[in-house]
Amino acid sequence: MGVEIGSLRLKNPVMTASGTFGYGEEYAPYVDLNRLGAIVVKGLSWKPRLGNPPPRIMETPAGMLNAIGLQNIGVKAFISGKLPFLRNFDVAVVANVYGETVEEYLRVCELLTATSGIHALEINVSCPNVKKGGVAFGTDPEMIAEVTGRARGVTDLPLLVKLSPNVTDITAMAAAAESGGADGICLINTLTGMSVDVERRVPHLKNITGGLSGPAIKPVAVRMVWEAARTVKIPVIGIGGIMTAADALEFIIAGATAVQVGTANFVNPKATLEILSGLGAYMNRHGVGSIKELVGSLTT
Amino acid sequence: MCRANVIYNRRLNDRDFHMALRLPKEFVDPRPGQFVMLRPAAPEGPLLSRPLSVHRFTRLHDHVVLGLLYRVVGRGTAMFSRWSSGTEALVLGPLGNGFRIDGKKQEHILIAGGMGVAPMGYLADCLRGRNLGGQRMIFCLGAKSQGELIGLERLETMGGRLHISTDDGTMGTCGTVAELLPGILGGREPEAVELYACGPPGMLKSLASSLPGDFSCQASLEARMACGVGACLGCAMTMRTDGKGVVRKSVCRDGPVFDLREICWDEIVIT
Repeated sequence: MGVEIGSLRLKNPVMTASGTFGYGEEYAPYVDLNRLGAIVVKGLSWKPRLGNPPPRIMETPAGMLNAIGLQNIGVKAFISGKLPFLRNFDVAVVANVYGETVEEYLRVCELLTATSGIHALEINVSCPNVKKGGVAFGTDPEMIAEVTGRARGVTDLPLLVKLSPNVTDITAMAAAAESGGADGICLINTLTGMSVDVERRVPHLKNITGGLSGPAIKPVAVRMVWEAARTVKIPVIGIGGIMTAADALEFIIAGATAVQVGTANFVNPKATLEILSGLGAYMNRHGVGSIKELVGSLTT
Repeated sequence: MCRANVIYNRRLNDRDFHMALRLPKEFVDPRPGQFVMLRPAAPEGPLLSRPLSVHRFTRLHDHVVLGLLYRVVGRGTAMFSRWSSGTEALVLGPLGNGFRIDGKKQEHILIAGGMGVAPMGYLADCLRGRNLGGQRMIFCLGAKSQGELIGLERLETMGGRLHISTDDGTMGTCGTVAELLPGILGGREPEAVELYACGPPGMLKSLASSLPGDFSCQASLEARMACGVGACLGCAMTMRTDGKGVVRKSVCRDGPVFDLREICWDEIVIT
């Protein structure tokens, strides 16, 4: 089941997606964290962020919109208050990094690199719910290359870049991250969406727009992973509406080396472990000795 | 997540229901004010679970019975209303922090507006279980009209004093439950009473403004939430801090019970 992303070795390809698994402790009563491929924690900024005013979420057909706005306790409070708990587990911890400016990204990266217990960084250039940084960087290949390249300059940790689907050509963004020195790319973050309360004629979200996640976005995500995996040589991590092992396999067969499970955690706290056991069952059924044999095994 | 079976799902009026679920004995005893996330066991209906307060809870020899009150307000609750005896469900919980019970208080005032009666039923049971019931409980129950006053019969049997208000005056005092409060608190010492409230945001806001300054009140909030465990941050509410700043707290993990005065009403949608 083991996979490698640069120098990051995962015991299996099932990771949690940032923003859907808290700092790990929220799901520890339900999931043996030791069994996960990796935990990607909620996006961390240099200073704590209040996030957006409520209402922040709205369910949609086969999905949900969110506009959390990267509420987080800040990287220092994470290191002192949350990371010690995660160090108790034999699991790769990936810190999702966010900044309003390139300099802020770099400061967060530097601090996390100097901290024990962080196994990789995931640069978030794709949050659609913040005014600065986030997707403002993630829709411009030059900015992606710059943020990635400068982050590469300040860290020797495996460097992942999480990409936005809200672009015309995902392959240009994937290539930009690769050229900047990323060890892997993660896609997709949420699709920008909107929902209206027709009785009151107001948006359901205070932020007006939000990011769409869940099964509704899976076909878009699989297509983008397939396109990106054919473009870059670095590993691709598939994200987007993965609820079951079959969903995860779609991504893997389309070219993903690993997957991240997001919204499914909200629906079923044990989703990651059920997906993991489903992958094992599939491999047995198909006589597959290593999950790596399945990566990009799509016949067209 | 626990597998559960519907024992019954009774309609109380046009849009309110009382559901009883049978759960395995491993289900932990809830504290009053805690909630569960409920969804169907079959892959149908909306994607996300729905949060519902614990209204009743009974531990039997080999299983437990969980009672839930709910109002049909959207797709999820409409689906619940179609469930019948035997329907399989999944329950996550009990979740959140419940009401704090201080046994030294002489009186416990339970204030409920509309569906806000849901956690109050179980709170009243727990107060009685600690011998804090009977004449030590005061219920203030409000609704839009008589037909929507739910849980009344049960509260009447609990021995507490009962004050009722309806917006249209079809039963009890005409007005909101918040308007009852000054009359009830008159002559009572703040240290001697504990107040608990649950109801729509408009009711809680007017309660906050009508609550005399030296009284405090524990208020249970409702919010749309995806996970129920503090991960999605979808249910965040803005709260005041001692230093006059604000902080966002999750209704699911930090609440659903908050100090009424802590709640910052500026950002709460009141319909």
